[in-house]
Amino acid sequence: MEAVANSYDLIIIGGGPAGLSAAIYGGRAKLKTLVINKGTIGGLADTTREIVNYPGYMQISGPDLMKDFQKHAQSFNVEFLKEEVIDVDFSQENKLVKTKKGKEFYAKAVILACGSQPRILNIPGEKTLRGSGVAYCATCDAEFFEGEDVVVIGSGDQAIEEGMYITKFARKVTVIVLHDEGILDCNKVSAERAFNNEKMEFIWNSTIEEVLGEGNVEGVKIKNLKTGSSSELTCQGVFFFVGMVPSTKFLNNSGLRMEKSGYIPTNERMETNLEGIYAVGDNRVKYLRQVVSAAGDGATAAVAAERYIEELNDFNANILQTDKKTLLLFFNALVNESLEFNTLLEGVLNDTAENYKLFKVDTATKKTLAEKYKIDKVPAVVVLDRGEEIKRLDCSMDLEKLKSQLF
Amino acid sequence: MSLQQLDSTRFEEIIYDNCEPCLVIFSKKECHVCKEVVPMLEGMKPQYEGKFGFYYVDVEEDKNLFQRFSLKGVPQILFFNEGEYHGKLAGKVEEEAVEEKIEEIIG
Repeated sequence: MEAVANSYDLIIIGGGPAGLSAAIYGGRAKLKTLVINKGTIGGLADTTREIVNYPGYMQISGPDLMKDFQKHAQSFNVEFLKEEVIDVDFSQENKLVKTKKGKEFYAKAVILACGSQPRILNIPGEKTLRGSGVAYCATCDAEFFEGEDVVVIGSGDQAIEEGMYITKFARKVTVIVLHDEGILDCNKVSAERAFNNEKMEFIWNSTIEEVLGEGNVEGVKIKNLKTGSSSELTCQGVFFFVGMVPSTKFLNNSGLRMEKSGYIPTNERMETNLEGIYAVGDNRVKYLRQVVSAAGDGATAAVAAERYIEELNDFNANILQTDKKTLLLFFNALVNESLEFNTLLEGVLNDTAENYKLFKVDTATKKTLAEKYKIDKVPAVVVLDRGEEIKRLDCSMDLEKLKSQLF
Repeated sequence: MSLQQLDSTRFEEIIYDNCEPCLVIFSKKECHVCKEVVPMLEGMKPQYEGKFGFYYVDVEEDKNLFQRFSLKGVPQILFFNEGEYHGKLAGKVEEEAVEEKIEEIIG
């Protein structure tokens, strides 16, 4: 058995808004909670200079908002560890999480909040000229292009907003856009600002196929997707904002179901295909990737995890560690027949001295147990002996028939 | 173990006068990638104690240093030996890549 010090109720991998929100809910529910985060706290939000649409904050910087999230989680006694998770074993009831420095942790439930990282286009020159004019972060690198010509690839929120930030330093920023003239993927407010920015220029229907230069970026090769023709544009810097890829590679052999792209599908409770494993925020399949929706994911997953852990503890304490035989009665308040059968069964058990323990499972809330025993209709009764299933009962409303099955 | 920060004077002494085999990370405060790479180097430093130096330059405090190497962006790890420049690694690099580079230099 593993050391208690390494054992948690809940481990959250990732310290962005989704992971921190899950930590707040987990901590408040008195779960022993650990957040493992490899970089700075705050994830992608930490790289955002200005956030103007998180409710309750008219305007705040990403790092400041994330510091508030973390402080909030710490106030509920959540623990934090700065390390990179490189492997997991989710096949047992106790989930194992391994870090790069060789530490091992166990948890009853794990929430995956690993976020995403900038997509690499893998075009010639992109890798070799990184740090020599090829860049992915305007906050980090924009000032190195004082008075120079910069190309931005992409037209999403990040591309356009970062592009405008770069105009504070660069002489000119040329944005390469896939779409027809006038169409940007970003929000309307930013699009309007960008069109009115004298230093911003746009090249439509195009992408880039090569970064040119020896030692330093000297230009880009632009391909017009409509005409198929290529042209060269001189510049000293190229910023790539061509979307993100989920940081879920370390989960490849975990048995976790993922899309080809690496995103994790979940249901509305943030449950993955594995019991006790949840996915939240940017690394799951979802419609909107914002701080506010990440926070919602985190809250949902932590509550789902809390209920799962409670069920698990309850079940382990009451059922698996008893000498008596146990009847697991699955019912649903909406199914009248299952309530009537409940009355019948309790009557039978009360009339006899036979050593049965009755454990009632509401399938509306204890979905995990219902799934574990593959219950698809109620009423249903599973008979356990020291935790092992020995038979299932025929649940017809016949007193004699029921007695004959039990005694 | 935190990295010793260099200004231009110390940089001259360590790289060109002492000819120490070492790496220097060029970094700045408001850079989230740097915040991942710097702690990684701090973690590596003890195992190379006495064999290979680990240093830090803040590009905002010592602008002339990054201009001198015509750097375009942070973080960048520059490698030196015998007073000579031995290449660099840029962006979010893995520990293995840094180890390999160090091995190349000190063999």
